[in-house]
Amino acid sequence: MRRCLGPLVTLFAVLWLPAAPPAAAQGMPRYGGELIFAVPSEMPSYDGHRESTFALIHPMAPHYNTLLRIDPMDRSGSKVVGDLAESWTVGKDGRTYTFRLRRGVKFHDGAEFTSRDAKATYDKIVFPPSGVASERKGSYVNIEAVETPDPHTIVFRLKFPSASFLSSVASPWNWIYKADILEKDIRWYETNVMGTGPFVFVEHVKGSHWVGKKNPNYWDKGKPYLDGYRALFIKDSAAQVAAIRGERAHIQFRGFSPAERDSLVAALGARIAVQESPWDCVLLATMNHEKKPFDDKRVRRALTLALDRYQGSQALSKIAIVKAVAGVQVPGTPFATPPAELEKLAGYWPDINKSRAEARRLLKEAGVPEGFAFTFKNRGVPMPYEPLGVWLIDQWRQVGLNVRQEVAETAKWFADLRGGDFEVAMDAQCGYMVEPDLDLYKFQSGPTSAAPRGISDANYTRQKDSVLDELYVKQSRAIDPEERKKYVREFEKRLLDEEVHSMYTLQWHRIVPHSARVKGWTVTPSHYLNNQLDTVWLTE
Amino acid sequence: MGKYIVKRLVLMIPTLLGVAVLIFFLMRVVPGDLVELRFAGESAFAQKENLDTERARLGLDQPLWKQFLVWIAGVVRLDFGKSMWTGAPIIEEIKLRFALSLQLAIMATIIAVLLAIPLGVLAALKQDTWVDYTVRIVSIAGLATPSFWLGIVFILGLLIVFKWLPPMVYTPFWVNPWQNMLQLIWPALAVGYRYSAVATRMTRSAMLEVLREDYIRTARAKGLWEQLILSRHALKNAMLPVLTVIALEFAFLMGGLVVTEQVFNLNGLGLLFVEAVAHRDYTLTQALVMLVAFVFIFVNFLVDLAYAWLDPRIRFR
Repeated sequence: MRRCLGPLVTLFAVLWLPAAPPAAAQGMPRYGGELIFAVPSEMPSYDGHRESTFALIHPMAPHYNTLLRIDPMDRSGSKVVGDLAESWTVGKDGRTYTFRLRRGVKFHDGAEFTSRDAKATYDKIVFPPSGVASERKGSYVNIEAVETPDPHTIVFRLKFPSASFLSSVASPWNWIYKADILEKDIRWYETNVMGTGPFVFVEHVKGSHWVGKKNPNYWDKGKPYLDGYRALFIKDSAAQVAAIRGERAHIQFRGFSPAERDSLVAALGARIAVQESPWDCVLLATMNHEKKPFDDKRVRRALTLALDRYQGSQALSKIAIVKAVAGVQVPGTPFATPPAELEKLAGYWPDINKSRAEARRLLKEAGVPEGFAFTFKNRGVPMPYEPLGVWLIDQWRQVGLNVRQEVAETAKWFADLRGGDFEVAMDAQCGYMVEPDLDLYKFQSGPTSAAPRGISDANYTRQKDSVLDELYVKQSRAIDPEERKKYVREFEKRLLDEEVHSMYTLQWHRIVPHSARVKGWTVTPSHYLNNQLDTVWLTE
Repeated sequence: MGKYIVKRLVLMIPTLLGVAVLIFFLMRVVPGDLVELRFAGESAFAQKENLDTERARLGLDQPLWKQFLVWIAGVVRLDFGKSMWTGAPIIEEIKLRFALSLQLAIMATIIAVLLAIPLGVLAALKQDTWVDYTVRIVSIAGLATPSFWLGIVFILGLLIVFKWLPPMVYTPFWVNPWQNMLQLIWPALAVGYRYSAVATRMTRSAMLEVLREDYIRTARAKGLWEQLILSRHALKNAMLPVLTVIALEFAFLMGGLVVTEQVFNLNGLGLLFVEAVAHRDYTLTQALVMLVAFVFIFVNFLVDLAYAWLDPRIRFR
């Protein structure tokens, strides 16, 4: 029975992807109306190149375009399509990318968009001047030069071939800014808005709401469908649920818990629609390699072998925003490991008794006594840190370990993670799109081209593994998807099975219940994607 | 009197300075870092290069004493600087929320006073009767009921019974009084009920004490009209402790309604405070603490002045 559950759970997650009707099949779009959505947090500044919170993307993405974007109808969140670039070519050496830009695109102030704007934008992201923070600069270390042979062409020359380059250009953060403005004041966009997107900025009342209205001169004729939108900043999740239930808001794009979904469905019946997807976020139990006995890979292996992920998935998915049993990639996406192969990794074996017997043997062999005590540092955030923390502790208890949980408020938790002040801690990985380069970056111990200083800023395990680093570089440069898949699998095996540097718990599960009036929006595995709202419309 | 007022006003300065020193250094002792939090996002990942750049930009790489001097020099000029989290001027951040918090505090106070004083007096006059017992039950229930819980009950009740939810965006009273009331009356009732419970208990006990005083007996012996005895002699004297309770509660409401603001999604000072602390927004937290400290000190000062009006026996020295 247990043997069947694992594949079934993962298979369900995979099959779920095409289950809901695609946005395109939701009928003839209707014009008009104001979309109102809740945003559970608020952005610190307005600069997409600098910030890293979805609270910036949700209300502000509708004001901007990027060169490429993720297809808003693609539930896997990985299909790249053009936005301000209408076509592109890749040089034979895999190092030259030439993008043809759309003509007739105008900024909201009426100025025409040209390749000069695209170059100024990418120069700010990739080569920011001293004193200017660029949050994702590290993802573009392979860019050697950005050139503009004519006003409607932009060329990126890379230092080496990159499998993820097109995805990187489709990053939802890389909003195209106006060159003239950047030339005068490179910080202007921290406090102002000026894009080419489908909606024009109207107002932002701090702590309260953000309003945008339809851009009548939008380059994609016929879009957007909405007259405008209003983002309400609602921090409390009960208040967000109440807002949707009381029809003060149509949707909250980040997601709700299973209980919140159920209460909305029970209250609103046919007036609510639910879209779900595996979520490109995961919590990891990170073991500090500089603390004994976690420097011993037998101990680390025992800790992951103790976890019954399949049973955990069944139980926890009822109460928390987690579901699929997964490796280093979101199930159902191009580079994800199929369930049958995943089962061969430590901690993913279908027979939990065999797993735990092996865990006990390894602990004994490593000289770890029965009842060995250690502290597990967790983040003081209820969902899903709290239920997953309790689950982990119970699982480890079943192989004779005695775990004390220390819950720290976010700022302290993060400081401790960075400072290495923990034995085992909950760590988080949340990607803005499903892409191995982004998802695996944190395990770099370097020095590599991706982490030139020698260690990734997010490698909290403090492991040093040149084999893993090499595999990262290989997968990153493998242009052939099959070859890349092979390296991703090897990376996964080394990370989770051979060395057990870290252990994945369960894939997050994104649940977006929304008013049935909202059409033209498709859930993806990332809550950073699909927020331009150009395809969204409201029924009567 | 004038001398007393000046003396009290001058005494506010060292108190506020003490608060300033305390909050500045306490914020720095608390673990966690604004810059790390800002750049980490949900992935617990931040590039060291960005952290260093931002720390330098915010002046956090400077020695602590230098940071303090720069800040306190600004405070003296009533310039609290910019929020380290949003980069917006702190005055702007506070101004936005101040109107809502002040209005909510005033509305809750009005509700509390309107409930507490008649009920407290009535309970005292009808001591140990069913009236007194009813008032005591209502007020003890108010003390035992957190206002945010009552808020949740209001919201659920409105949703289930009327399929309606109060507006979620604040509209100033002078822009649209009806919309404004639709949003704020519910939190004001939730907060006002708990607030009134405290004041009712205090009014009742103060009235009971005053009604046993010799001068009340004397007034009655003189044949004074009972209404006049109650309003002029008893109530006025009983108001001294009640006024203190009401004033302190009012000061608390200016920044302490965190959960109620969350429940009703009110853009007030309480939520701003919590966010500022959670983000380790040093400048904003410091400014908010200074504001709340000032409100408390100033309200206490006003209460002391009111004592003289209520009880002419009190002389200021």
